[in-house]
This record gives sequence, structure tokens and C-alpha cells, in this order.
Amino acid sequence: MTDDTVASTSRAPTPKQKVWDAPVRLVHWMLVFLVAFSWWTAEEGEMQWHYWSGLTIVGLLVFRVYWGFAGPETARFSRFVKGPGAILSYTAKLLKPDYRATFGHNPLGALSVIAILLALIAQVGFGLFASDTDGLESGPLSPYVSYEVSQDAGDLHEEAFNILLILIGLHIAAIVFYLVAKRINLIGPMITGSRKAEGLDGPRSGIAPVPAWRFLLGVAIAVATVFLIVWLPTTR
Amino acid sequence: MKMKLFAATAVLALGLAACGGETPAPETPAPEAPVAEAPAPEPAPVATASIGETPADPVAFMKTRHDNYEDLGKNFKVMLDNSKLGTPDMAAVSAAAVKVNEYAGQMGTWFPPGTGPEAGKTKAKANVWTERADFDAKLADLQTEAAKLVTATSTDAAAFKAQFGATGGKCKACHDVYREEDKDK
Repeated sequence: MTDDTVASTSRAPTPKQKVWDAPVRLVHWMLVFLVAFSWWTAEEGEMQWHYWSGLTIVGLLVFRVYWGFAGPETARFSRFVKGPGAILSYTAKLLKPDYRATFGHNPLGALSVIAILLALIAQVGFGLFASDTDGLESGPLSPYVSYEVSQDAGDLHEEAFNILLILIGLHIAAIVFYLVAKRINLIGPMITGSRKAEGLDGPRSGIAPVPAWRFLLGVAIAVATVFLIVWLPTTR
Repeated sequence: MKMKLFAATAVLALGLAACGGETPAPETPAPEAPVAEAPAPEPAPVATASIGETPADPVAFMKTRHDNYEDLGKNFKVMLDNSKLGTPDMAAVSAAAVKVNEYAGQMGTWFPPGTGPEAGKTKAKANVWTERADFDAKLADLQTEAAKLVTATSTDAAAFKAQFGATGGKCKACHDVYREEDKDK
């Protein structure tokens, strides 16, 4: 459907602008699935699944932070994280009728990206050290802390999830706002990677490809991090 | 998640109400022994009070019960942490198992009448008292496995790791039925 090979029948194919690379999209949708899955497994007491779901999220976060420095243009923090001035002027532009959707994260959306990333990092951070009241289930790094600390980590793990839920709610609300008020579909490009290029912000061709080794290095760093987290506590 | 906060507030309010000297709710489970209504003569709340007697100070008694369970959790964490090691600290694990076994032996006396949710803040559900036979059967299971755990920890690491899960399973079997869920279900 999204391939350039699928041209429209009667007219010339609409030019596409590539906005999101595959790793960014994959990380995004895996996070969507795994956050929901982690929630469900926690509620159901399926702690072994919760454990691996959380560790997979750790890997995804490590990769995404790395990709924020090594990935293509729209993935880079330096490219989309802006100061208050840019955020304000963006907000002013947003309310005008001739608004054009930003190429990549807009300055306001960047706040959401950073907030959700930080909330997720805090969430898995607490989870790694948490244990239940019974001392029957625990995160992989829990052996490094006392019972009391692991209890506190567990409480924070539970409480901080509410913050994450609020941020996710805001994120979805913003997407609905763009869809309804601005007639801009942000969901499609996050699935396909591309959007129609007519009259849009950014280079017509979109993001430039990134060498494969950079992606593989990121995967290696993520896998190694998860491995260390699981393996190190067994060698104390 | 809001439900959880709400529940916590409700539990707190209940506890405060109990502290304020409110008469226990009429749905108080029938005491095991009819004579147990009178306050026990012991001045201090001791967890080893006879099974049927309402303690003189139920709230303090329940606090001791809570502390005991917390210490039980602490001892379990020692074993849990060690169970993840290739070479567990068997001395620490043994000491924890002995403690757990000791608590398991006492636990039958930790739930006298008048120390349930009607008396103050507790996660013990009312069915501890209304389904006492089943509760005691589950406790007997725990006592069996806890005794085996003591033996296992003085055997070797592999025996300990195997028996740790079996013992924890008995804790959980009871918690699933008789302990208030910590989450907003």
C-alpha cells in the first residue's frame, strides 16, 4: 500500500516524503504494545511475562536514546528539541489556518516525546529494583538493594505509571486534535513512514538513509545492556 | 488508578474510624469461642495469644501481625535474591528459612476474632474468619512446605532453589483468597 510501486491508477503518483525511518516506527509501536502488555501482566500477576516485557522495553529505550544521536534527522534530539521561544512561536503558528505540518517532531510535540521517554525510563528504572511485599517476585536488580528500598521502588513503579498514563493520554489527545481540528493525519506516517509531500515543511525527499552499521551498533548496545542487567546480579 | 487512591483513602478512613472508638460493624464474624467477647487479660498485644481470644488492643495486635508479615517478606527476599545466584549464601538462606518456618508455626494464632477489617486497617479479608477451616488447611500446607524448606536449605543450593518456589506458592495460595488486592481491580 505504501510502496512507491503502488501508483495511483489515473493520475501521476503523489510524491511521498519519508518522515520516519523503520527503527523509529518499530520502537514506537513496540512500546505501544509492550506498555499495554506490561500493564496487563501486572494486573493479572503474570510476573514472569511482566519481567521480560519490562526488560524488552529497557532495550527499546536504550536503542531509542542512542538513535536520538545516531539516527536520521527526524530521530535526533538535537534536531527536534527546542527552547521556549520556538515552542511559543510554533504554538502561535499552529492556530493559524495556513499551518503546515512540521517535518518530524514539532517543538511542542518534542516536549511530549521527551516527557514520555523520561517517564518510561523512570518506570523501568523503578521496576528493575522493585520487589513485592512477599519477597516472591522482583526486578532483576532488586538483589542489590534492601527489602525496604525494593518496596519503595515497587511503590514508585506503581505510582509513576499514573504519570505515564497521563502523558499517553495527552499524546493521544494531541493526535486527535491534529486529526480533527487541523485535518492532519499523524498516525498514517507513523505506520507507513511517509506522507504526501505537497506543500509541506522539510526536504521533499525526506530523511536520508542511515548506514546499516549504525543501526546494528544500536541493537548490539541495547541487547548488551539487557544481557548485563540480567546476568550481572547472578555473579554477585 | 484513581480507584486505588480511593480505596486507600477508604481503608485509611476505616482505620481512623476504628481508632476513634467506633463500634465494630454488625457483620463482625462470629467468634470461634463464645467466651472470647470479653477483653483478654494480657496487657501487651502478643501475637502468640490463644487462637480464639480477641486481644485487649486489637489495633496494636494487628500492627504486630503486619510487622511480622513484613519481616516474613524480608526473609523471603533474602532467599529470593540468593535463589538468583549460582552459588547462594547458604548460611543466610538457612537462617531465613528457619525464621519463615517459625512464623509459619505461629501464624495460626495471628487471626483471633476481632482483628479483621472491622477492627482497623488490615489487608486480611473477612473470609479469614468465615472460612477458617479452609484458611487453616492452607496454613497447614504452608507449614509442611516451610519445614521442607528448612531441610532443603541445609541440604544444598539445588534443593533450596526447588523448595523455595514450592513454599512461595503456598504463601500465594492463601494471599490470593484471604488478602485484599493491592491494586484497583
